[in-house]
Amino acid sequence: MTGLGDRLLGLGLLVLAVAYGWVAQQWPEPFGGAETVGPETFPTILAVVLVAGSIYLMVKPDPDAQWPLGRSALELVVSLVVLVVYAMLLEPLGFVISTTLAVGTLSWRMGAPARNAFLTGLISAVVVFVLFNYGLALSLPAGILEVN
Amino acid sequence: METLGFLMDGFAVALTPYNLMFALFGAFVGTLIGCLPGLGPANGVAILIPLAFTLGLPPETAMILLTSVYAGAMYGGRISSILLNIPGDEPAMMTCLDGYPMAQKGRAADALAISAIASFAGGLIGTIGLIMLAPVLARFALSFGPAEYFALFLLAFATLGGITGKNPMKTVIAATLGIMISTVGIDISTGTQRYTFGVLELYEGIDFILAIVGLFAISELLFFVESRMGGGRKKMNVGKLTLTFKELVSTVPTQLRGGVLGFISGVLPGAGASLGSFISYTLEKSVIGKKGRFGEGDIRGVVAPEAGNNGASSGALVPMLTLGVPGSGTTAVLLAMLISLNITPGPLMFTQNADIVWGVIAALLIGNVLLLVLNIPLVGFFVRLLSVPPMYLLPIVTMVAFVGIYSISNSAFDLYFMVAFGVAGYFLRKLEIPVVPIILGLLLGPEMEKNLGHALVLSDGDWSILWESTLAKSFWLVAALSLVLPYVVGPVLRRRMNAAMKESPTSD
Repeated sequence: MTGLGDRLLGLGLLVLAVAYGWVAQQWPEPFGGAETVGPETFPTILAVVLVAGSIYLMVKPDPDAQWPLGRSALELVVSLVVLVVYAMLLEPLGFVISTTLAVGTLSWRMGAPARNAFLTGLISAVVVFVLFNYGLALSLPAGILEVN
Repeated sequence: METLGFLMDGFAVALTPYNLMFALFGAFVGTLIGCLPGLGPANGVAILIPLAFTLGLPPETAMILLTSVYAGAMYGGRISSILLNIPGDEPAMMTCLDGYPMAQKGRAADALAISAIASFAGGLIGTIGLIMLAPVLARFALSFGPAEYFALFLLAFATLGGITGKNPMKTVIAATLGIMISTVGIDISTGTQRYTFGVLELYEGIDFILAIVGLFAISELLFFVESRMGGGRKKMNVGKLTLTFKELVSTVPTQLRGGVLGFISGVLPGAGASLGSFISYTLEKSVIGKKGRFGEGDIRGVVAPEAGNNGASSGALVPMLTLGVPGSGTTAVLLAMLISLNITPGPLMFTQNADIVWGVIAALLIGNVLLLVLNIPLVGFFVRLLSVPPMYLLPIVTMVAFVGIYSISNSAFDLYFMVAFGVAGYFLRKLEIPVVPIILGLLLGPEMEKNLGHALVLSDGDWSILWESTLAKSFWLVAALSLVLPYVVGPVLRRRMNAAMKESPTSD
């Protein structure tokens, strides 16, 4: 079926819009009595607009985009995992090590030879670390490399 | 002559060695951002915001830095258009038409030099226009009430897709999503917790800086990974400069026309720099007529779009500075910087923060001169950088984005959020939902709600106040028109732009 992507998106947005609008109706009336514009007024308007928009998407979807399959999709997932792990390890492992690993893996997966990739990672990590910690006096986590 | 006095004060701000240094740095980085693959101007400015923030720069310096980056990116976009026939950013598309044929004829150096001069002329004309128009518009905007502002915000969203936009409904959806994200957090007027679900990090709302960096930088990385365009490009040879003074003088009328047209389309909502360079190019073609050799490397075919898009980039600052309503992605990002510096954009900024406004305007003038000086001797250096493959570049850019976001709050929570925004950005862009309206929604959402509230308090709950005044009516009308027009004239305009691209025999 053509326009499947837009239809699915429309469905998702419809659910979001209804949930968003419904949550807005549950808030307790603010202290001091209801005014014309309460905390729920604006979100309610937004929910209505989004409901209209999502229905339009489902009724008149655009042609589908090319979605990555197979290896491209795998590479995307790998990059995402790298980003999340990077965020996770930044503090415990310290900036230099985690950055070397993250930048290295990313550029290796994007097609650079492994040695060059990790070398790029290491150099950029050290440069940015030195620049930030000594040049700009902003502290990045040293992690397990900390000496004191 | 009040304006001239303010401008002099602005120069006094911008010419301090400290600010001048940042303007030079910004101009240099901006040109880099413009010419490097995978780093558009909005993206580049977005990544620099957290850095400007954590460096603790004073507001005027931060704004001078970012405006110089913005101006620089417009210069940089042309380099890859001319040398590789690949526009560095969207407005540089028209520069390919005659720039690339010129390069193929061995006149790359001339094309680069004349386009730098044209960029300078366009930027200069645009900035002069800005100086003349902005104070007038700001004074006029002082008469706006909350209802007019509410309608104006709607107008901004409606025109954001531009009349060449594909599906206006998707712009509406994107803007709504952005405003919805902005409602997360504690409601300012009543203290009600909205959509926080008891998560402490959400009480203060979602920081738009990390949303911007996620939506731009992280999704860009994912796009590159998907298309596997990590490999570099072949090395370019620029050749010798053979541009004669006579040739330069012969393009002066073209530069003037292009700059003025560009400025006008930059100021108008929904037109923007791409349309600016397109209009200047097509007008130039019809003015010169058969005498020109457009599409085969006519020098005026390089001058017109470059003057046009740099004029437009200064023009686009007019609505951003005077009304607080940006008309393009990059100016939206600049607005984000202003808001995070705790400066309320809009007409009052011209009186309350005159030093910043005029400092920025003076910095634009100085930046243009710096850019011209930088661009002619350093072009070889920028060209060399063009051949740095994205597979090394993009991971480093991503890392800088991580560092910037991390240094604002020192929390890993924000980083997860940024990655999540990146993934969302990737899917939305895949589905052709534009991300710029999301960002604008995030930025303008709170203001919109505040103005709606004020308007209804003034009218004692009567909703018709929103479209009562003539001004508000006309805003609503233009907003409605710009949602309908793309269906009517959009296909025609798009076809013409495509036809213009195809007409040139050498483009591939």
